[in-house]
Amino acid sequence: MAVMKFLCDTKRCIECNGCVTACSNANSEALVWGLQRRRVVTLKDGEPGEASISVACMHCSDAPCMAVCPANCFYRTDEDVVLHNKETCIGCGYCFYACPFGAPQFPKKTSFGARGKMDKCTYCSGGPEPDFSEKEQRLYGANRIAQGKLPLCAEMCSTKALLAGDATVISNIFRARVAARSNPNSIWGYIPETGSDSN
Amino acid sequence: MFTQKCKQLVLALFAVLIWALGSSTAAFAVEPPLDQAQVEQGLLQQQQKAIAAEQQQMQLLQANPQAETADLWRGVREGETGFTHSQAFEADRLINAFGNDGRLMRNKYVVPALAIAVVGVFGLFLLFYLINGSAKLSHGFSGKLVRRWTSVDLWLHWAMAVTFIAMMFTGLTIMLGRYLLEPYVSSDIWAPLIYGGKTIHDWTGPIFIVFWAMSILKWMPVQTFKSHDLKWFLLVGGYINFGPFKGKHPDSGFANAGEKMWFWTLAIFGLTISITGILLVLPDLELTRETSMLGLLIHGGSAVILIGFTIVHIWMATVLSEGGLESMASGYCDENWAVQHHNLWYDEIKANGSLEYKD
Repeated sequence: MAVMKFLCDTKRCIECNGCVTACSNANSEALVWGLQRRRVVTLKDGEPGEASISVACMHCSDAPCMAVCPANCFYRTDEDVVLHNKETCIGCGYCFYACPFGAPQFPKKTSFGARGKMDKCTYCSGGPEPDFSEKEQRLYGANRIAQGKLPLCAEMCSTKALLAGDATVISNIFRARVAARSNPNSIWGYIPETGSDSN
Repeated sequence: MFTQKCKQLVLALFAVLIWALGSSTAAFAVEPPLDQAQVEQGLLQQQQKAIAAEQQQMQLLQANPQAETADLWRGVREGETGFTHSQAFEADRLINAFGNDGRLMRNKYVVPALAIAVVGVFGLFLLFYLINGSAKLSHGFSGKLVRRWTSVDLWLHWAMAVTFIAMMFTGLTIMLGRYLLEPYVSSDIWAPLIYGGKTIHDWTGPIFIVFWAMSILKWMPVQTFKSHDLKWFLLVGGYINFGPFKGKHPDSGFANAGEKMWFWTLAIFGLTISITGILLVLPDLELTRETSMLGLLIHGGSAVILIGFTIVHIWMATVLSEGGLESMASGYCDENWAVQHHNLWYDEIKANGSLEYKD
């Protein structure tokens, strides 16, 4: 099966936050007010070398959240997407400590600001509930993968900076872009004349 | 008439204003005005400098076009922060790998250490009991009971014990349940079990801290180490029933050296587990992931030591010391038990008249 990944092209991202809006719109039923699953960070804002990067759950192959969870509520789909079961989640926050990307978010409960059930990017592929069920939509949001579509953030990206899809496919697209906009030696081991990366 | 006066006033004001303006210009005009050609020369030089710098940067970029991107990602990996519209805590930081290193530590060392502490300490003491047997009273029970603990002591001890046991079992479920329970039960059982465990752990914690703090403060005066405590360690407390240790009863005051060690372990690691517990249970504190993960590791490490020592404590009190448990059950101990295990304390209360028999 495919290994689904996100890839953000820093030379194309224009910090329009369209991906954030698209995500919140697609998953609006699952998102508590104030939470967002995706964010855009601009480094060196207003200085030479400014670059914007859109980031959400990276669906790691060796996911720290999955390894640290005391409730073992995470699982991996056939598309290599990291999902979690909100009915097993205990809101301990360990996944937030362990995640390098700050992807897990917690709605606040009233007593002492205790954490509720964790929420994160599902790669628009729902959760453990039956596909397109009311419960799935309410807890996890959209299930576009089951509809044969890609996550809405990447689909709606106006400059096609944010790519979603199988790792091999999107890295080939990105590789071709880098080759086209730079000189041949810019990618280590890649020769654009032959299109080969194995020399 | 009135308008006339107004006109005069306005004129006077103008005169003052012009005079002030003139004098201030004179004050600032110290430097002579520059020649036009000189100004242009300076601007040109500045422009040329900027162009040269830009060209140099372009040449660098062309020679190594990936350098800029490499620097960018290097910065991201090292945790460089930027601007973001997200209101989430630390959202401006793209990567923070500290927590991942922490979870590797936790899963590799802390979780196995806890399992080893529980199984290992229990197993060792079972083995010791089977080989060595318990410490019997050499003169049997006298039947005369001496007051050892007040009712306040008993309340403190058992309140702390009950909350600690609750914390211990729910904590063990949180740390080890995923490996030892979850694979063998259905998710309908596992989900409420782990959620209930976490909830009990969160809400019992503050109660434990209160009783722990009161106990530590109340008992600290009798728990300071004395010179005879060293000899107690050398004789392993008189608990060994064979070889040169047989029949030895080292000196000890109200608390023996082993009990003092338990007390100070509970004082120190009780403090670390309480502080880190408070940090972990209140997300409103908005601690960095570094602090949170360190807190989690210290919390787990303290739990390993406290749980290990608790198992020792329960073994000593219930099985290994004949007549030991009743002092914490009723507050009174047998007189022979007091003479054999806490001779210095017995001599002291007998001498100063505070010895109190049960009616």
